[in-house]
Amino acid sequence: MIEKTKSWFLGGARVFSREMSLVLKDVGVIIFFVGLPLLYPVVYTLIYNTEIVRDIPVAVVDDCRTARSRELVRMADATEAINVVAYAADMNEAKRLMSGKECYGILYIPEDYSRRIGRGEQAVTAFYSEMSLLLRYRAFVSALTDLQLQTGALIRQELLGSSSAGQSSSPVASESYFIGDPTQGFASFIIPGIVILILQQSMILGVTMLAGGAAERRRRNGGVDPLAVDAPQSAGMIGRMLCYLVIYIPLTIYTLHFIPVMFSLPHIGGAADYLLFIVPLLVASAFFGMTLQPFVKERESSMLVVVFSSLVFLFLSGLTWPRYAMPPLWKLVGDFVPATWGIQGFIGINSNGATLADVARPYSMLWLLAVIYFFAAYAVIAWQRRRDVAMRGL
Amino acid sequence: MSYLLATIRREISRLCSRRIYFSTMIAIPIACSLFFLSLLDGGLPLKSPVAVVDLDHTSMSRQAVRSLQAMELVDISGKADSFHEAMAMVDRGEIYGFFYIPDGFQKDAIGGRAPTLAYYSNISYFIPGTLSFKGFKTLAVSTSGSIVKTELVSVGVGDNTADTILQPMAVQDHQIGNPWTNYSIYLSNSFLPGLIELMVMLVTAFSICCEIKDGTSVGWLRVAGGSIWTAVVGKLLPQAVIFSVVGVFIQSLMFGYLHFPLNGSLCAMVLAMVLMVIAAQWLAVLISSVFVNMRLSVSSVSLIGILAFSIAAFSYPVTSMYGAVGIFSYILPVRYYFLIYIDQALNGIPLYFSRCYYIALLLFPLLGGSMLWHLKKMCLKPVYVP
Repeated sequence: MIEKTKSWFLGGARVFSREMSLVLKDVGVIIFFVGLPLLYPVVYTLIYNTEIVRDIPVAVVDDCRTARSRELVRMADATEAINVVAYAADMNEAKRLMSGKECYGILYIPEDYSRRIGRGEQAVTAFYSEMSLLLRYRAFVSALTDLQLQTGALIRQELLGSSSAGQSSSPVASESYFIGDPTQGFASFIIPGIVILILQQSMILGVTMLAGGAAERRRRNGGVDPLAVDAPQSAGMIGRMLCYLVIYIPLTIYTLHFIPVMFSLPHIGGAADYLLFIVPLLVASAFFGMTLQPFVKERESSMLVVVFSSLVFLFLSGLTWPRYAMPPLWKLVGDFVPATWGIQGFIGINSNGATLADVARPYSMLWLLAVIYFFAAYAVIAWQRRRDVAMRGL
Repeated sequence: MSYLLATIRREISRLCSRRIYFSTMIAIPIACSLFFLSLLDGGLPLKSPVAVVDLDHTSMSRQAVRSLQAMELVDISGKADSFHEAMAMVDRGEIYGFFYIPDGFQKDAIGGRAPTLAYYSNISYFIPGTLSFKGFKTLAVSTSGSIVKTELVSVGVGDNTADTILQPMAVQDHQIGNPWTNYSIYLSNSFLPGLIELMVMLVTAFSICCEIKDGTSVGWLRVAGGSIWTAVVGKLLPQAVIFSVVGVFIQSLMFGYLHFPLNGSLCAMVLAMVLMVIAAQWLAVLISSVFVNMRLSVSSVSLIGILAFSIAAFSYPVTSMYGAVGIFSYILPVRYYFLIYIDQALNGIPLYFSRCYYIALLLFPLLGGSMLWHLKKMCLKPVYVP
């Protein structure tokens, strides 16, 4: 019994050192394991680092041409989202500007705008928003809401003066707060999720590329991998997993701590919380990669079958499209992706300042996935071994 | 011409000989399209889970809670009795925001002491955070408005005049092309072509470099009569046909089956798809001709293909990016496809405005052809570097 345990551990250790030397000698795998987590977060953050869409070009069609309408345009121009770039003579001219992408919104002030205000009627203006990017539309909507409230308050003051009704115009104050990122920036929202996905995907790419290399060697040598080490299968798998884990420790600290610090992204979680949290994600991703092994028959095809999945996993994770709005089937599929739980938990810790106890559910789901994928990978590798034995027999 | 036909025949048999081509060219694009279109089928994610912290417990605060519950944007799924309890629910990811009604709200509102309503939205999740914010803001404004109106009417102001006083100026908001704020229209039309571009580039680079890796490149050139142009065109043509058919099929799902806005002509969109497939192929040819090495070429096109989803500005506008970053969006075929889609399908403006984008797509083959001499040199002496 003791002998058996000892040989199990020795086998695991041999696989660990063998795998480590295989990884270190393989430029392709090093690029995935080290290059990807090192560079991708920086590139992504650079793309989104301007954070906020502001000063979007807008054309104005002012049929009213009074002091009041000009004041409205000035106030619109002063909002964060709107930058008035042109006065168009009529809607056709404005539409032409929009078609030429010189503006993305049109503010139309009708001819009776100031007359209606003078008469004490409600004045109506129209805003036409180009809908190719919803981020622009979102910026417009919030600017227009503020514009409406501000202009309304000004007009009210003017009309009612200091009468009692004017005084009571705002019996209730309201305050709004954004949790997680008060600046509402785009990078601050997407990067904490993306880095988790990068950790998972780079791990899968590296693992499948190593497996593809092993498959090529086995094919060339009639079902035998000359570089393989003899060890019990479970010890071999855990040895490999630990090897990847060791490689990922510095990279994890870099992506989860230094990337947010470098770009001043939200980063209020405790280091112990998110570092402990990420361990099962890495374990589960390593075994997930091993489970995908049979799909990869040569080194480079790992990219063909893995790269596109980043997109699918991104959407399954609920980062861009909330999970409560997903059809049940896709929600269930998402449950089996480590990054889904990883992103939920890490955003909770990193952006909202949750503790490990607060994210107990994603944390335990990650451990559960690690166990599930361990057994799945075990079955897959055992099947591959039987097939290789059969190949040797022929 | 016979050389070209021979190369095409050779390529078709190569495509049929390996399962990976079937899965990457047909199965993955179509499966992903079905995935995206069914995932985003709802259009706009309604009913974002939120909570209310009602410390007032009066008729007025209950009225506010009922109004919130009636909104389609949010769904009061949790009840919290204190600020800290609600915050803990946000931390656990159970809710995406909460609305806080302070103690003595009704008393202070009627007494003119201006109590403060507060609302918190978790913007760590952009869409639910934004939508719950929108719901909360509407509630805050309307709660305040209804109190003012009651007061105005009670001092003898007419009903209509009271409305005008509440909102003397209204902005009517018109959403051109997508009045439903449907996220599927906006996401599927950009991400699915991006996915096709990614798969086209991967398959092109893989199939060219495979010849070098397996040492079959000499035979490939011989079948093409020694001309690298014939060899490459013959190789790409069958793939272009398959990808174009798949791409147009996906377009038919969007514009036909799901009735996504197609305000221009269908031909313009089909043409854009075909040109994008060809442009993506030649971008990959350029990269493979430079690197020749399979791993470098395939990983470079993966890098470009994946970054395209961000840099081509499907969600974050190029004009807001750093100039040095945004400029890279113009080396991506899918960027031009996306611009054509905006003009021709979403906004339905004259073809004249999209002319430059079509021309840009046509330039990619020229760009790709410029390094073919290097590919030819390497094809004649194939060396595989892992």
